[in-house]
Order: sequence, then structure tokens, then C-alpha cells
Amino acid sequence: MSDKIGIYVCECGPNIASKVDIDKIMEEISNLEDFKDVELVVRNHKLLCSVEGKKFLENEINENNLTHLVCAACSPRDHDTTFINVCKKTELNPYMYQIVNIREQCAWIIPDKEEATEKAIRIIHAGMDRVLYQQPLEEKQLDSNPDVLIIGGGIAGMEAALKLASRDRLIYLIEKTDELGGKSAKLNQLLPRQGVNLNILHQKLSNIKSNKYIKVFTNTELASIVGFLGNFEIVIKDVKDPENTTELLAGAVIVATGYELLDATTLDKYEISEEDEVYNALEIEEMISKNGKIVMKNGKEPQKVAVIHCVGRSEVGYCSQTCCSYLLKISKMLKEQSSKIEVVELFKHLCLPNKQDEAFFEQVKDKDVEFIRIKDVNVTGTSIELTDISDAKQKLDVDMIILGTAMIPAKETKYLAEELKVELDEMGFYQEAHLKINPISTNTDGVFVVGGAHGPTGISESMLQAQAAAGKIFTQLIPGQKIIPEVKVSEILEAYCTGCKTCLDVCGFGAIYFDEDKGISVVNEAICRGCGNCVGSCPSGSIRTRHFTNPQLYQEVKEALR
Amino acid sequence: MEHSENVLIIGSGVAGMEASLMLSKAGKKVTLVEKLSLIGGKTIKNEETYPNMDCSTCLVAPIQQEILQDGNITVLTSSQVTAVSGDAGDFSVKINKKAGYVDLVACLGCGMCYPVCPVEQINEWEENLINMKAIYVPCAGALPNVPVIDADKCLHLNGTDKECNKCVEACMFGAINLVGEDEQLDIDVGAILIATGYDMMDISILTDLGYGKYPGVYTAMEFERLFAANGPTEGNLVMRDGKTVPSSVAIIHCVGRSESHYCSSVCCMASSKHAHFLRHKLKDAKIYNIYSDICLPDKTYQKFYEDVKAHSSQFIYQSDRDKMKITEKNGKLKIEYLDSKEKSAFLDVDMVILANALKPAIGSDELGKVLGINHDKFGFVEAQPFNIGTVVTSKSGVFVAGCAEGPKDIQSSIIQSEAAVAEIMSLLNS
Repeated sequence: MSDKIGIYVCECGPNIASKVDIDKIMEEISNLEDFKDVELVVRNHKLLCSVEGKKFLENEINENNLTHLVCAACSPRDHDTTFINVCKKTELNPYMYQIVNIREQCAWIIPDKEEATEKAIRIIHAGMDRVLYQQPLEEKQLDSNPDVLIIGGGIAGMEAALKLASRDRLIYLIEKTDELGGKSAKLNQLLPRQGVNLNILHQKLSNIKSNKYIKVFTNTELASIVGFLGNFEIVIKDVKDPENTTELLAGAVIVATGYELLDATTLDKYEISEEDEVYNALEIEEMISKNGKIVMKNGKEPQKVAVIHCVGRSEVGYCSQTCCSYLLKISKMLKEQSSKIEVVELFKHLCLPNKQDEAFFEQVKDKDVEFIRIKDVNVTGTSIELTDISDAKQKLDVDMIILGTAMIPAKETKYLAEELKVELDEMGFYQEAHLKINPISTNTDGVFVVGGAHGPTGISESMLQAQAAAGKIFTQLIPGQKIIPEVKVSEILEAYCTGCKTCLDVCGFGAIYFDEDKGISVVNEAICRGCGNCVGSCPSGSIRTRHFTNPQLYQEVKEALR
Repeated sequence: MEHSENVLIIGSGVAGMEASLMLSKAGKKVTLVEKLSLIGGKTIKNEETYPNMDCSTCLVAPIQQEILQDGNITVLTSSQVTAVSGDAGDFSVKINKKAGYVDLVACLGCGMCYPVCPVEQINEWEENLINMKAIYVPCAGALPNVPVIDADKCLHLNGTDKECNKCVEACMFGAINLVGEDEQLDIDVGAILIATGYDMMDISILTDLGYGKYPGVYTAMEFERLFAANGPTEGNLVMRDGKTVPSSVAIIHCVGRSESHYCSSVCCMASSKHAHFLRHKLKDAKIYNIYSDICLPDKTYQKFYEDVKAHSSQFIYQSDRDKMKITEKNGKLKIEYLDSKEKSAFLDVDMVILANALKPAIGSDELGKVLGINHDKFGFVEAQPFNIGTVVTSKSGVFVAGCAEGPKDIQSSIIQSEAAVAEIMSLLNS
């Protein structure tokens, strides 16, 4: 079949028609010297995106048996999809169509009508040159596995497991320690400010145990993972016996590996040791769980306690968000244990971002806790030197110090990030796909990050993030539904690849692997997003991205820059 | 489930849009109800979002476009839910869609109808900083890019001048028809998501701060629009007289916090962003942020704040946020506050920006009654149990996301929205 290009010029009402000379465009495009041997159909329309316009386009494609289509209209952001959908109703492969933007790039920005018309003709011509070099591409459909691997059995991991598990979806919940519960299990009271007690945690634990669609693996770590959304091949290993591995298949992964508390002994301003009566909040929680109350190493109740906020905050470079609330909780517990205990909180700023926090703060203030706003603090054992907000210096000797230390990423974060091909942010937490508008997803499709692994979060936020990941999986990985991977992906021409592996480093999605037998790089088309990084980096020119090949781009640019 | 394919989402801000798109991808039919004539919520009022200074339009416009083109999503603008009956899985909903008099399909948004309209009225969406016509889109770039006619103001529709047909004559597409009535729609859905967002606290009641009395005093949202390229001054930083460029500006944090009894959690970052904006436009201006606590609840926020403190603004601590007083003398504003030693201190500036508290969206009380759900003592939707890690409301089948539940930033709103999708999918597929 010989080539037959349809060129359709949209007037967009007055938007295009009043700013460029439509007749002149039609005339010149119909009589291009270098297209005199190609059959052209050149038409204009008042509004191609309208219901009537789409019908017109569909009929035109069918009746003229077009082999290529160029729509000279608006920004592809507005109506590329519209015209692709029209193509899909016809025999014309949508990859044989090209949109040319004569509205935003001509009509709306060039005041001189003649100039705007000239540019419009030029870029339509470029689009015609390009479209002749385009090739039909076909979408593939892949089977998908709806099951989910959850790494980390803390509150976030448990919440996600319970939301997701069903007859159609098996959950593998792996936990590196010998029991579920994570850091929350160490707490004596969860969130007394809202009346939430430990029952919520115990309820979750027992619900997980009784749920036959959740397979729990304790003392287990991830050994390796390869694959993509819908098809991950996973190997897990026994922490105590690393040779003992199990293979699993899943369609998505939720990383819920939690946080750790910064070691305050590493901080310059804290000269403290194990022997001192200095504790972080989790140690206090464990103490209460064990002894039923807060006591010193000699078993006696402290008379004077200092609670210090923001420990290590300037070193890590972020606010840990939860410490103000839980330190208030500990002060309240001390006062309830004995009203005789003097409690002083040393803080720089109070961060109480939940709507219920302020009322709790008022409750604690009413319990006769002293609050000192500080600029700086130095701690030696249980002696404190501070500078308050008004620059007055003060010395405090207390029986016990309780520290609100910064929350930092769990140790295994770095290893897991490499294995999962997920980036880390500058603080060492997992990097989200987009901080503002895609905060739970990562750059690897099908891998989600929730809870403390994502950044400092409280119990409430961790649970919400876990549910959010469940929402993503419910809507992206539907049991029985096929996955349609990106079509415009990179391919490596075997004959030209020298096996230098440059492309492996630049791929942000882990879509390229090295075939040791052949000594060449290979693209996993299910993972590739077609960003083109590898194309630019390949010294031997052996990689091309479909629909954005060199000849296609060359043809377009050649005319545009003539 | 009776109507397991249908979901009603109320509010088209980032939370409502995210849930709509996710549910549509899973094959659900979504009705997205928005009370204004445009979708996108409060985010599109911001020129840039903190902390990475992403252009808001660039973030949100592709999402808005996708919503408008999605075959599974029916967008009802200028609409309000008036009645809901039934239970989870089987709700009957009545929606009132205000007559807009402009055909959504025929209109191209070419804008030929505005200049001919003889009516001038205040543009509330632009924080009353500019006028608009009786036929209008609230701002350039509004989506859907289709104007509506304010029937109370239109001379033809309110009966002042039945002969006025100027907009109808100006429209080349026959998209305007001055005969029209509100539409009453009945839909059946299995689940409902409340994503009605927030409004800013009315601070004219805080008389000590002089808002509404002194023209140099602005609210945070007014300042956002003043900075916006598509705003009333096209991004030129000038005062209300349209020409004076301020040479000193004070940004006051925590305005209305004591009255609200909660921290609004976004204002410290928004106020830091405003200082950053100001420094960007006014290289030599004196810029101050007066705060009582700094709340930076995201791992990425402190770095931005430190940067603003180092390069853009002097941060001043006030020891009692309820003791501030603003007066004016010879066009200069005088701020009196208590310093770190609890002594009176003074600051003279040309412009004051008040970072006022976030409140439940206007009309949420009525909507709560229509839906039969509980609010907390602040008027936000109560999530159960305990407002902890949940988006479930007191009524089964009705969920909440975003600032309708309490003040929060964009990412926290989106996370709640995605969590609500999990609840909705679980409910409808059960």
C-alpha cells in the first residue's frame, strides 16, 4: 500500500483561525515540493476535538484509507489522547499519527499573523516528515500476580497486610525479628491523647494470626528481588540460617521497614554514657512495660526529671514530628506516677501538627510541668547547661534526663533500596516518586514505601500511609487483570552493543540487565519507561527508543530548523 | 452491593482528584461534585508549592486535564449535594447543578464574551482583589475553561435589562443561552468521599491586627494571589493602590491559632515560602517572619526553612501571640509585640501578611447534616475511631480525605485520599 498522509488543520474556533492564515496553510501544505510524489489529503475543521470533529476525523481516516495522520491543532497536553483515541477506532495504528501544536506554539505567541502562519507551515511540514518515518507499534498484555510482599511487621506493615489480604490476594509479611509489632509493641500506651490504647495493636496481631490469606515469616529478610509491577520474583532468607531460602512470586511490594532512634552519645553536646540516668523515649517505654513505672537504675523514683526535645535535630536536618507529642505523653505519665516528681521540658519549638495535639499540650501544662524555651543546651551526665530564648544562661542538675532523639532510617534501608532499585533521599529515607503528588509510590512501579521508612511518622500517619499503599495496589493490580506496559520503550541492537555497561548506570528504573552469556546489555521492556537516558549515554549508538528514533527526530528537526 | 460501580466524590481539590483518577483506573464510575465553576481546589491558587517550589499549575493541570477527559468520571461543577439517603453500598444522592448558561461542549473558552459584558463585580476567588464580569472564569487557566454567568448580576437574567444579549452575540459558537434553570440530578452510588477542603479563618474579628482597616494588611491567601502570574496583578508585587512596591514586609505566623485551639500545620512553611517569594522579587526589602513556634512536619521542610532564614527573612520570636497590635501612622504600619524577654518591641513596615488559621470549608456544617456524619469540636469531619490512622466517618460508606478532616499539606491530603480509595474498594468489592 502506498503512503497516504492526512493533514487536518484545526481552527480551534477563533483561537487559531484568527491568528494564522488557514487558507495559506492549506494551500502551501498541499503543494510542498518534497511531497509531490506522496498522496496527501489536506483539510481544515472548525473544532477537531468536538464530538462532531472527532467523528469527521474518524470518517476521513476510514474513507481515505490513510496510512499516516498529522493533526495540526493545540498542545499535545490538551488533545493528543483525544486523537489517539480516534485512531484506535479505525484501522490506523495510533503510532502512525503525529500532533503538531499550531496554537500554543504559533497562534497564541506570535503577534504577527504572517510570521505565525509561516511557522505553522514549517512545523506542520516537520510533522509530515516525521510521520513518514514512524512505525506501527502494538501494545502488549502481560499476566499479573495480585499477591503482595510486605517487608516489615511493624504497625504500618500489619495495617497494609490486613487491608489487602483477601481470597483473591495472598500477603507475604516478612519480619526480621522474631515477632510482629515493631516499635509500637514497645510502647506502654499508644496515643493516650486520643484515648487509643494498646488494644488496637493487640487486635491487629490477633487478626493477622487468624487471617489465612496472610503468610507471616518472622526472622526473615529479603535476599533478592527482580521483576516489575505484576511480576516480581522474590527470594527471602532466614536471618539465623541465611542458606535457608524460600522463593515467592508477587505483583507488588510494600516496604515498611520502620525507623531507628539516633544514638545520642554520638552528639557533641551530649557527654553521656550508659551509666548515666539518661534515656531515650523507647527505653522509657520499655522500662514502664517491665517495671510498671519510671525508675532509676537503683530502683528509686527520680525526684527531678528533664525532658529534652529536638535531640540531634540540627545534625539530621529535619524535624521528627512525633517527639513533641510523645515527650508530652511521658511528662504526663511521670506526673501521674507521682505529682511530686518535678518535670521540666526543654524545647526550642513545639511541633503539634495534629488538630488534637494542642488540647493534649494544655492538659500536660495543667499538670504542673515546667516548660523552658531554649536556644541551646549542653548535657554532661545529668547536668544541663542551657541558654534560654532570652539569652539567659541556666544550670540544671536533675536525677534523670529523657531525650527526644531524632528518628533515622533503619539500618537495612540502604541495602534494600539497592535491591529494590528505589532511590534514597539525602536524609537516607526512601525517595518517593513525587514528594507532593505521589508520596507513597516510588520510581519503581509496584514498590511502595510506608511508615518510618518513608520519613519520620507517627502511628496515625503510618497507618494512613499503609492504607494508601493498599489503595494504590487495589487500583493498579486487580486480580485477573492484564498489565499493559509502556510501548515507547528502549531497545538495544545486539550487533552494535559493545557490553560497556554504561547504560546500566544511567537507567533510573533498573530496566537494563547484562546478559553475561552474550556479553551485551538487554532492556526489560516491562520495566522501561522510555525516558531515553540510555540512548544518550550509549557510546556505540546501539540503543534506540521506539517512536523517538534518530531518523524520526532528525526528519522533524531538519525541517523545523531549515 | 447494589451500586458497587459508582462513587460520589465531593470536592475537586488534590484529594478529590487523586481519588477520582484512582477509582476510574479500577473501572469505577465516579461523579465528582464541585461547588465552584472550576476544579483543582486551593492548590491552584498557589503559584508555587513548598518546599521544592514546583509550579502548582504544572503539578495540577495535567491531573485536571486527565479528570476532564476521563470517560469514567462525570465532573459536575457549580454543583452541590442537597440530599442523601440509604446506606453503604446503596446511597441515593440528590445534586443541584446551578445553571451556568454556557454549553460545556460547545464553548471553547475563547474569551470573546467577557469584554462585552457591561457588568463589573468583585472576584471572590481572587480574594476580592480584582473585578470580573457577570460572565466569567475566575482566573486565567481555569479548568474547565468554560465561563459561567452569575444570574444575580447578569442584567438580562436579573431583569434590569432584558435587551442585553451582548455575550450571546459575541459567542461564535452559539454556546450561550440565557434561558436555563438549575438542574436536579439523582444518582445512586455505593460509597461517598468527602474532600471538601478548607477555608481560611475570617480575621477581621481580630481587630488588634487591623485587617480590613489598614490597606497594608493582607491575608496569606491574598498574598498568594498577589504573587501569582495569573493573579490580579499578574504577579507584580504591588500594594492595593496598584503601584506602591513595599520596601519592608512582616509575615505574622499563628494568626487565629489561639482562637482555633489547634495548629494549622501548614502556615510556617507557607509563611517561609512567602518570605522566599518576597526576597525573590524584592532584592533589597526588609523581610521579617514573626513566630511563636515553628512547625515543620515533613522530612524535607527544615532545609527549606533554614534556607529562608539564611537568605530571605529575619525570624523574630514573639513570646505571646495574643498580645500583638498593629496600628497605622502616615501609611506606615507599626507592629507592637512582646519579645523574648516579654518586653514590648516595635517594628515599622509597609506591608503585613497574616498567616491565618485553616478552618473547615464554608458549608461543611450543612453538608454534614445532609450526609448524617459527625464533626469534631472544631467543625472538621471526625474520623473514627479516635481520628487515628483512619478515614472512616461516623456513617458507614462515607469516608473523608484532606483538609475536610483537619488542616494538612498536599502530600498528607493525597495520602488520606489514597487511603480512602482502599476503604472504598474494600467496601464495593465485598
